[in-house]
Amino acid sequence: MKLRYRVLPEGAADGAIPLNCVFIDEADAKACGLTNEDAVKLIAKEFKDSCAAVNVMNKNGVSVSSDGIMNPIAVVATACVDHGMINPAFGYMNISEIPMYEGMMKDEPHMRQWLTAKFAGKPLHRGPVGKDLGERTGHNEYMTMTGRIANNNSGSEFFNMVEMTEVLALMAGQAEIMNDGEVMIGVAGPEVSVGIGMIVSERWGRIFGGNNLGGYKPGMTAHASAQYAKTVKSDYAVIAATKPKFMETMLDALDIGLVPGRELGCSPALLCSAWAYGKEIDFDRITPASWIELESVGITKEALMKPNTKPYTREEMLIHADEIIPGVISPKYYKVSEICEIREAEF
Amino acid sequence: MKCMHTRLPDYYAKVEAAAKKLRPETKFSISGMENVQTAKLASLRCGRIEREIEEVTEDPEIAEIEIKMVPYNPEEAYSVLIKGKRADGSCKKAVLDNMYATVPSVEYYMTDAEEIIDYRTGSRQYDV
Repeated sequence: MKLRYRVLPEGAADGAIPLNCVFIDEADAKACGLTNEDAVKLIAKEFKDSCAAVNVMNKNGVSVSSDGIMNPIAVVATACVDHGMINPAFGYMNISEIPMYEGMMKDEPHMRQWLTAKFAGKPLHRGPVGKDLGERTGHNEYMTMTGRIANNNSGSEFFNMVEMTEVLALMAGQAEIMNDGEVMIGVAGPEVSVGIGMIVSERWGRIFGGNNLGGYKPGMTAHASAQYAKTVKSDYAVIAATKPKFMETMLDALDIGLVPGRELGCSPALLCSAWAYGKEIDFDRITPASWIELESVGITKEALMKPNTKPYTREEMLIHADEIIPGVISPKYYKVSEICEIREAEF
Repeated sequence: MKCMHTRLPDYYAKVEAAAKKLRPETKFSISGMENVQTAKLASLRCGRIEREIEEVTEDPEIAEIEIKMVPYNPEEAYSVLIKGKRADGSCKKAVLDNMYATVPSVEYYMTDAEEIIDYRTGSRQYDV
C-alpha cells in the first residue's frame, strides 16, 4: 500500500522554508489502516538522510489560533523525525479531541464560533490533554523533539535547533496547505511577533492551559516583554493564508459579536480589522503591558478610539484585506500546488 | 551510599578502563557532563554501561569508543544562580531564576550509526 503525504521541502517558496515540513491527512492514514503514530513512523523511514517536522491533520476538524479565531483544520498529532528516527519519549505526541464541556461558552466565550453553522459538530483539537503529554513534565512546552528538530505549540512552530532556524505555520496557512489552496509566505515581522502573544484563555489550549483556564485572559499579552515583543519572532519565516482568506475567519468571529480584548485576543490583526469594520474593541480590558507592545508597532489607542465614520462592509473588508491587516514582510502568494510536493510512502 | 553509588570521577575511570580492557590501544572519549563537578551515579547502572562497552569492543573492527552523555528530556529546566561577591570572595547576594534550554536530543549524535541497540529501561526504546 501507499500512504500519500504532503511536503513543503526545505528551500521551498523561493528559499523561504528553512526545513522540511510534512503534513499527513489523518483520513489517508486511516484508509491505509494505519494509526497516526504508525503513519509518522512510516514517514520517518522516508527521511533516512534528512529531517522534518511532521503534523497529522484532520481536514474535517477545527482548531483555534492563539488570538481565539476558529479555523477549519486541526492538528491531531505532532512529531519530529531525524535521519529515520523518532525519539521514543518526546518525538511524537497525540493531540486528542476536546469535547464541549458544561460551561465552556461562559469560560471560553470565543468558542461561540464552534456553535456557528460553519463549525458546529466538527471535532475540536487544540492542545494536548493530560494523557497526551506522556513523559513531558510541568516545564515542558507542548512540543515534540527528535534530534535537531522541534515542533512546538501543538504543531505551529517548527525549529531546527542546530541551525537555529524556524518557521511559523499558522493554522489558517495549514488549512490552505491541506486543501490545496493558496498560501502567503514571508518573514513574520514585528506585528505578527506581537500578535501571537495576545492569546485567549482556554482549557487544553494550543499553547497554554491544562485542566484550568490559565492566567492569561483576552486583552493581556503572554509575551509581556514591552518593546522587545516585536522582535521575538520577527525574523522567522511564516506560512499563512492569504490576507483575504485570513480576514474571512476574523470576520466570522466579529460577525457573531465577539469583541477583541474581551472574548478575542487583542492582536494587531484583530484590532485593525475590528476598527475598519466598525466593530467594538474593549479598550478597558486591554492591559497597559499590551498597549506598550501594540504601540511599539504603531497601533495606538488614540487612533483606534477615533470613530470610524465609514466602516467597510464585509465585501469591502475582503477587498481591502491586504491593506487592513498589518504584518508579514515581503509576503509572496503561492498556489500550494506550486510549492508543496505530494509524495507517497510505500509499505 | 558508597556501595550503591559511584563518584563521577570513578565512573569516568571505570568506563575508560572498560573501553581499553580488551585492547589497551582503543581510543576513548567521554563528553556531555563537563560542567558537572560532583555527582553520585547508580553503581548498578555504571556496571551495565561498563559491560555494554566491553560488548562493543568485542567486535575487532571497533578501534574507538566515544561516549556522549545527553539529557534524556531534551527540554531542560535549570535554576540560574547569580552570585554577587565582595572583593574578598564572600557572597553578599544570590539571585535565583529559571532558564529553559531545548537541546538536540540523542538522535542528533547517532545519525551515523549503522546499528542501534537500545537497552534503556521503561517505555523508552526504539522500535528497532
